[in-house]
Amino acid sequence: MLKKMMILALAVCFMATGFGPAAAADTIKIGFNAPLTGFAASDGKSSTEGAKLAVNQINKAGGVLGKQLELIIYDDQAKPAQSIPIANKLIGRDKVVLGISGSYSGATRSAAGVFQENKVPYISAYAIHPDITRAGDYVFRTSFLGEVQGKAGAKLIGDIMGKKRVVVITLQNDFGKSLAAGFKEVASTYGITIINEYQYSIKDRQFGSIVATVKADNPEAIYASGYFFTAGPLVSQLRAAGVTVPVIGQEGYDSQKFIEIAGKAAEGVIITTSLDRDSKVKETADFITAFEKQAGFKADMVAASGHTAVMVAAKAIEQAGSTDPKAIRDAIAAVELKVSTGTIKFNALGEVMKAVQVQIVKDGNWHHYAVIDDPALLAPPAK
Amino acid sequence: MLALFLENVMLYIELLLQGLISGCVYATIAVGLTLVYSLLRILHIAHAGLFALGGYIGLLLTNTTGSLILATPLAAALVGVLGMAIYRLCYQPILNRPPYVALIASIGLFIAMEEIFRLIFGPYGLSYTQPPLQTTYTFAGMTIRAVEIVIVTGSVLILGILSWLAQKTRMGVAWRATVDDPQMAESFGISVLQVRYLNFFIGSALAAVAGVFVSLLSNLVEPTMGGVPSYKALAIIVLGGLGNVAGTMFASLLLGVTEAFGTIYIGEYMDRDAIAFAFMIVILMVRPQGLFGRR
Repeated sequence: MLKKMMILALAVCFMATGFGPAAAADTIKIGFNAPLTGFAASDGKSSTEGAKLAVNQINKAGGVLGKQLELIIYDDQAKPAQSIPIANKLIGRDKVVLGISGSYSGATRSAAGVFQENKVPYISAYAIHPDITRAGDYVFRTSFLGEVQGKAGAKLIGDIMGKKRVVVITLQNDFGKSLAAGFKEVASTYGITIINEYQYSIKDRQFGSIVATVKADNPEAIYASGYFFTAGPLVSQLRAAGVTVPVIGQEGYDSQKFIEIAGKAAEGVIITTSLDRDSKVKETADFITAFEKQAGFKADMVAASGHTAVMVAAKAIEQAGSTDPKAIRDAIAAVELKVSTGTIKFNALGEVMKAVQVQIVKDGNWHHYAVIDDPALLAPPAK
Repeated sequence: MLALFLENVMLYIELLLQGLISGCVYATIAVGLTLVYSLLRILHIAHAGLFALGGYIGLLLTNTTGSLILATPLAAALVGVLGMAIYRLCYQPILNRPPYVALIASIGLFIAMEEIFRLIFGPYGLSYTQPPLQTTYTFAGMTIRAVEIVIVTGSVLILGILSWLAQKTRMGVAWRATVDDPQMAESFGISVLQVRYLNFFIGSALAAVAGVFVSLLSNLVEPTMGGVPSYKALAIIVLGGLGNVAGTMFASLLLGVTEAFGTIYIGEYMDRDAIAFAFMIVILMVRPQGLFGRR
């Protein structure tokens, strides 16, 4: 008897999950994979909140094509082995019209292949690996490639700041390595001499030996790639050891949490990113206010990127006039949209072309420092 | 020429110092692990979870009370008690199973702890509102932070007192007797259960102290901060000759120094964690019983 009841209960559960989505057929479904658990869970949280905000805003304004948007979110733990089944599930079971990655490069790259194979559009919100868009013509990226941002960093240090003797500290993953590659490619153009380069792993929080050696190198500036959870300890340890030269980072630093970890040591740190906190542009300013109100913490680059990707998707679906994947793909390729991270338009490979924002920490907050708008330098690869 | 050499010597000394600092942290973590192994032959992976919990409790208590001196022993005591609970609830029921059963349970517990930290404390990690011990002292061109001095003296003191206790007190003698021959110890009226509880209490409390140390160094505690010690401490206790406390301490310092130099001179080819394991493999090829293990 008990067994029978359990089977019945199970059957009810299956029916509930099986018919649940079908009952809400008048929504347009967008798939979203992000690391909600594991080491990258903080960025997963930011990107998801950003995406949710965009969906709420669009739905409040009447939705798209007269229907409400529905975000189907799965946790990929930033792991390729998770993102592939998730991509299959989003396409096969949830029947999403489009997918968005709010995740890191590894997971995004593998999912991109699945979306391309099924000819469903896929947008990478902030993953930086060059191969992501090379999966095919259905894959787009609304953020900078690592190499592009590395080049912007070189221009910032050598040209805008006029510092020539530079130490490079590189995070040993695809993010850090592609930044360093871009930086080195154009460093000599701006008269920069790289006097030393050090590498560290994403798990490192203690940089004592690197700091001691950098001090002996006596550079004019330090170009250090990393995320807020590595850069926070790195910068505070550099400053504690008496290294006072400018530290230049990238969008991985772009979080209020960086300032919280590094404290006073964060003051004066400069980064290249895609969110300008002091922006007078309505889309950006509105996003920053609305995000803090919804999420309860300050907006960062990852949140803005999640928001941007959904905005681009919604605009494309509207332009396409239908939920046909091919029509949506073509609409994304042709999109030109002003959003929180700038004006989004894509090149032939699906890479975004926009200006790089330079921010500096002042009085415990990120502020405007400069804008690098150099289409020739920032041109992403087109194939 | 001489000036250049001197400059390099200063750098080597500073690298050595940095290596010893991380070595002290490693020792504080790994000694607890080796204590558990010597007594029960269990590889206690969840030890690294207790390390992270120690960091969280120490940081939260410091932020609320404003006193690190109060927060650290409290964190150690709380985590120590939790360590005892883990022994009672998780390991004791499966002691008569093969060792891998306990290992699997321990790994499962560790993963669960990481996710519980994330659910309770959030994914972003926590920082001190007023980071303590950040004063710096400069002498002979070297800069050292107060926290680094506290870590070195603190860990030397704690581990010194512990080894004194193990040699000189009744409880210490009972502990050593139980490690050597549990059945014989029991027949002499030693409560093996008490020894095991004490063992888990001390080991876990040490892990908590190490967690506080690391939180002070990086001003950050994260749900995954136990990830690195969970396997690096294993490498250390293998190096030290499984279950050998003095060997574990020496291996910790040696690894800390190797990493400090390795990060600078071979960091391009090998990351810091790879250095630890390459080092372990080399040593084990020469001495399969570990640096100080008995054959």
